[in-house]
Amino acid sequence: MAKVLVIGAGFAGHTTALYLGNQLGRKHEITVMSNRDVFGYVPSWVWVGVGHMKPEQTIFKLKPVYDRMHIKFVHAAAKEIHPDAGDQFVVGEEIGTGKEIRWSYDYLVIAPGPLLNFSGTPGLGPENGFTHSICSLPHAIKTRDAYMALCERMKKGEKVKIVIGTGHPGATCQGAAFEYVVNVHKDLLKKGLRDKADILWLSNEPELGDFGVNGVQIKRNGIVQKSSEFIKSVFNDHGIRYQVQTGVTKVEEGKIHWQNYEGEEGVTEFDFSMLIPQFKGQPFKYIGKNGEDVSAKLVNPAGFVLVDGKYGLPYPELAQTPEAWPAQYNNPTYPNVFAAGIAFAPPGPISKPFTNKNNLLIAPAPPRTGMVSGVIGRVVAMNIVDLIKTGKMTHQERMTEMVAACIASMGDNLWDGNAVTIVMRPVVPDRKKYTNEFGRDLFISHLEMGLSGAWMKFMLHYTFIWKFKGLFGWKLIPE
Amino acid sequence: MQNEQEFSKAEKFWMNFKLYQLWRFIVLNAKIYTIAVQSKFH
Ligand SMILES: Cc1cc2nc3c(=O)[nH]c(=O)nc-3n(C[C@H](O)[C@H](O)[C@H](O)COP(=O)(O)OP(=O)(O)OC[C@H]3O[C@@H](n4cnc5c(N)ncnc54)[C@H](O)[C@@H]3O)c2cc1C
Repeated sequence: MAKVLVIGAGFAGHTTALYLGNQLGRKHEITVMSNRDVFGYVPSWVWVGVGHMKPEQTIFKLKPVYDRMHIKFVHAAAKEIHPDAGDQFVVGEEIGTGKEIRWSYDYLVIAPGPLLNFSGTPGLGPENGFTHSICSLPHAIKTRDAYMALCERMKKGEKVKIVIGTGHPGATCQGAAFEYVVNVHKDLLKKGLRDKADILWLSNEPELGDFGVNGVQIKRNGIVQKSSEFIKSVFNDHGIRYQVQTGVTKVEEGKIHWQNYEGEEGVTEFDFSMLIPQFKGQPFKYIGKNGEDVSAKLVNPAGFVLVDGKYGLPYPELAQTPEAWPAQYNNPTYPNVFAAGIAFAPPGPISKPFTNKNNLLIAPAPPRTGMVSGVIGRVVAMNIVDLIKTGKMTHQERMTEMVAACIASMGDNLWDGNAVTIVMRPVVPDRKKYTNEFGRDLFISHLEMGLSGAWMKFMLHYTFIWKFKGLFGWKLIPE
Repeated sequence: MQNEQEFSKAEKFWMNFKLYQLWRFIVLNAKIYTIAVQSKFH
């Protein structure tokens, strides 16, 4: 009997667990160790943050799902990984009791998502800083409460400054921040308060609509355009001001300090701000059999797990090397250790990085969206199934092959809501296969805006919660 | 887009024209499902 341990039960880890439970659960030991006993449907936290969805509608308990799928559940936060052959185990701290748990494995999947590195930007974040976040459910709830309090001030006639975007020169997840800014706009419009708010989009993207993926393409009247023009139209239409090519360096009460591509330093004032922090890997200890630190073999300096990618290529070379992106997501030194979702180390950025004259690197990190995380989770699960059954992995999918569909909600009302629907193939441009200037399949890659997107976003919420609960037909729903 | 930075009246009309959006809903769903499901065979 093989023992498989999955750390984390988000888009990546939970998907891995569902496939493993389904394929191996009756004969082998599949365990999920997670610091939260619920699954969180992260995309809907945007709606939580404007008070349009109750927090409890975005979560469900994991244990009943795992009981049905023959998966063991350990409610603990992983702390140490001991990957050396002979005695491979993970040490975690049980939530509630603080008891130390030691769990051995034959195959390990590291999928604990990002460490939200607020401390990477002094003054950032809802705990020790002055800005808000929608990257965790408690943060989204706190953001909602602060936003509601702001609306009360506006109702009394006060004019306010709202700043939304990225809070670190190397932040990712611009899509989520974009969704939030347009939802705030729409909500204020409905409340009759829009004229009381000056809204600014502040981001590290090289240009508007880059989203950390080097932009998206739109075919209009036979002409292919970049998303920058389209997003400019959205912001102009909504009266949202924008400032890109900007890295936030520090936050003080009511003041955001930044530097831009030109090396200029500036300060932007705010009454309410939601800025996405830098993401890092979870700070696990990686310990060898003699107690030595083996983290250099397993993770990069930011804590993301090294897998089968080609690391260290300069950006211009990486942009021309689709095969540099990992395919099977296992570690070269410890091949029975896999990483899925945000936890794996990408070989570099997708968007062009920029270093300004003060040596500040302003470069959006590559987003590993829900769909990407789910696909990687499935590839990892199927390869572990292969290894256990036949000893040979047969599955692979690089981000330079993957499709991603993202729907950025712009108001959730089913009558007059709106959303931008983005389809990309591949997520990371493959300039060898697609020789156009974008490196993407222009027949598939597409962006459009309309009410249908709002319907899709609503439908996805319920469809994915159905899938993640492992209910009837879950495998038919793509990641 | 009229001058690339503004949405035209026609564009705004189609974005909220329910019948057209129902058609787009069906087309987009079919398109996304078809391409996303191919990933299962990787
Ligand atoms: C507000 C917001 C909106 C978004 N909207 C979209 C969208 O519309 N479409 C899209 O495709 N993507 C979207 N994304 C991105 C998407 O949510 C992420 O790509 C996805 O959640 C990443 O999955 P993951 O499994 O790697 O990490 P997570 O989903 O973060 O899951 C990690 C899990 O590991 C657990 N964990 C953490 N530390 C430990 C530990 N020490 N021990 C054990 N368990 C641990 C966590 O509790 C969590 O359950 C959005 C992101 C945000 C923040």
